[in-house]
Amino acid sequence: MIVGAALLVGATVVILGACVLLIIAVVAVRARRHSRNQRDEMLLSPLRQPLITVAAGEDDDGTAAEELTWATGVSRTVLDRNIAEMLTKVRGVPAEQLVHVLEVHGAVDAAVDDLTSRSTVKRARAAQLLGLARAERTVPLLVEALGDESVEVRNSAAYALGLIGDPVAAGPVLAAIGAPERGLPAATAAEALQSMGVGISGVLRDGMADPNARTRMVAAHLSGERSFTRGLPELRRLLDFDPDLTVRETSAVAIGRLGRGEDVGILVSHTASSEPLALRRACVVALGELGETEAIPALVLLLGDADPRLAELAATALLTMGPDGRHALAGHDDEPAVRTARLLASLQKASA
Amino acid sequence: MSWDGFVEGLRSFVVWSMDATAVPIIIYFILINTSLLLLIVLAYLEFRAQQRRRSTAVSWQGAGLAPGVSLLVPAYNEEAGIVMAVKSFLTLRYPRHEVVVVDDGSSDQTFARLAEAFDLVQVPRELPHEIPVRATVLGIYVPRDGRTRLVVVRKENSGRSEAINVAINAASEPLVAMIDGDSILEPDGLLHVTRPFADDPTRMVATGGAIRPVNGSRVVSGRIVRVEMPQTWLPRIQLVEYLRAFLLGRTGWSRLGGLILISGAFGLFRRDVVVEVGGLDPDSIGEDFELVMRIHKRLRDEGRDYAIEFVPEPVSWTEVPVTAKVLRNQRRRWHRGLWETLWAYRTMLFRRKYGRVGWLALPYYWLFELIAPLLELFGILIVPLALALGVVNVPYAILFLVLAYGYAVLVTLSAMVVDEWAFHKHDRWRAVWQTIAASVLENIGYRQATVWWRLEGWWSSLRGKKHVWGVMTRTGFDEDAA
Repeated sequence: MIVGAALLVGATVVILGACVLLIIAVVAVRARRHSRNQRDEMLLSPLRQPLITVAAGEDDDGTAAEELTWATGVSRTVLDRNIAEMLTKVRGVPAEQLVHVLEVHGAVDAAVDDLTSRSTVKRARAAQLLGLARAERTVPLLVEALGDESVEVRNSAAYALGLIGDPVAAGPVLAAIGAPERGLPAATAAEALQSMGVGISGVLRDGMADPNARTRMVAAHLSGERSFTRGLPELRRLLDFDPDLTVRETSAVAIGRLGRGEDVGILVSHTASSEPLALRRACVVALGELGETEAIPALVLLLGDADPRLAELAATALLTMGPDGRHALAGHDDEPAVRTARLLASLQKASA
Repeated sequence: MSWDGFVEGLRSFVVWSMDATAVPIIIYFILINTSLLLLIVLAYLEFRAQQRRRSTAVSWQGAGLAPGVSLLVPAYNEEAGIVMAVKSFLTLRYPRHEVVVVDDGSSDQTFARLAEAFDLVQVPRELPHEIPVRATVLGIYVPRDGRTRLVVVRKENSGRSEAINVAINAASEPLVAMIDGDSILEPDGLLHVTRPFADDPTRMVATGGAIRPVNGSRVVSGRIVRVEMPQTWLPRIQLVEYLRAFLLGRTGWSRLGGLILISGAFGLFRRDVVVEVGGLDPDSIGEDFELVMRIHKRLRDEGRDYAIEFVPEPVSWTEVPVTAKVLRNQRRRWHRGLWETLWAYRTMLFRRKYGRVGWLALPYYWLFELIAPLLELFGILIVPLALALGVVNVPYAILFLVLAYGYAVLVTLSAMVVDEWAFHKHDRWRAVWQTIAASVLENIGYRQATVWWRLEGWWSSLRGKKHVWGVMTRTGFDEDAA
């Protein structure tokens, strides 16, 4: 026998034993979740009414908020977790009252301490709580947390900085996207930067020269979204020369949103058939967004393009350019792209 | 030759076969189990990270960087559920998405149902030919209301792959999601699977989502309102297979950076990359696997920096076969597709430029996915024969069998723990016991049958037999259990 009987028996016992342990694990995980939910429910039930009163903005005399500050022990922990969850939804006076409850409970100070905890989950949740509590004094700590070894903590710190909205954090947030080995997810960074006001336009302009493509893309995207015209020269440069196609497309879209008449030329130049099709299409849409009548001759030429989608986008762009654009379509009525664009425009108009 | 002589000859043959194959089979057994253990460990690490991410998740509603998505729905004779499916796709929570349905020459009322439900009008649009298609497009339609983001394309029947290629040509968003018309998506499913694209917009080229069987669950208006176990054992066992494949296999490979398979029932791709590699191969049986392999090959050949990721959150629910006949056809097709794709990309094996795909994922799929049924069949035939001839010690053989199948149960139970810990989709305790029972029952009859069906698929390919697509009989979803 290749495998000794004793070894076989041993291996079988180990495997079957592991199976039994896994079954116990399934049952235990399920039972633990069930009992924890029940416990939380029980602890929260006497506090639910005042909590709803505060969150609904009906606590005019502050008695409900006061009642919430009395919670102690595990009840307080469960309550604080629920308050943190509510703070993602409520604004104004109710939010301020809930933050006050957290402060009285010492949750905000504890979160500052937890930022250096060994537990990733604790650090991340602490960062989030500081953001939800709009604790402006903790911005330097949160900026430091952007370089945390765990992506969850970096993500939570960026989220918190977005909630606080202090533009001083914009530079570190943008820089964190391209940090080697410890990058910040672009989506979180973009959302955080979105809520930091107009003071970030300079940071975005600098970001468009960053060596990391994701950073350039976020900076270009936000410059367009927020209509930061100061970034136009950099956007033009990215559209012309960036090695990354996604960055070029994003720049074209941004120029379409905030560009000027002088940008028609650069956008038109990238509708040439030698350019990647996705970029050509983005530039045609951008020309439509821009709405400058100087683009009309170039768009008319594109009505006969070999790519039917591009031709249709050109026709749609012309239709949005007022009488001059519509007039330019005369003589092209037989072309499917023009007929489709007209039909879709009429359907949209009829349903408006 | 006398009967005794025949038996003696057979006995000698069986003894010789067992002696000759014992060492290779033991080595194979150790290798396959070790690799499975490694995948379990990798999946565990990934889930621990995922769980951490989930417990510290910040709300993301797809604002800002969320790329637009075109949901591509090929439909062939789907009159029973197409309208409900499209309505549920249109109402998914996502900031920018459209639905592109391609009616692949249905002979039933698929198009008529759509036309009536959405008041479709024909548009004189010409489709781009970015991906070449053979079939003629008969017409393109949009809803009269001018707002609903739906495009319906009618074409001659030419198969699912061509239907998806037509849909890619018709799609206008930067990401394309390939979805079966009978699938149900989680309301936040798109937010989950697009998140990697938003987090890493310049590198991410494809993501796959976990798929679960919907059989038995309560479905109302295209939404799952209560997750239940299937009512019969055949789909219950498939549920166990899905848990294993998605929660351990794909998650482990994704963690390792060697994901080479994204399920056709739900996959999300960058449109420009799919166009660049030429879309789905209409002549391939395993078209989804083939597409991912082609993307890997092209991007690695060009030395591009890219990522393909698996999202373990249950994203899509699909009806699995409830009859052995349909299941047989499916498994034959899957294994044939696996073989043809692995063979087509054999030059990627052990080449440095293909990294973990060439050095780990592909050898694994060759050894433990493709060849496994062959060895298992050998075992299925030789062990009973050896027992009948008294060549092997009965307790020894039983122990070996318990060990082999016990290991299979162990792998399934690991997936169950992960599912319970991370997703806990099933509320009832009964579901736990049924899943455990299914993981044991899987080894009695089901596993042996699928081994045979898989080999049938492989054999028919080697013989150059033309593949005939079977009909997947759908019960459809209604207000009651699916």
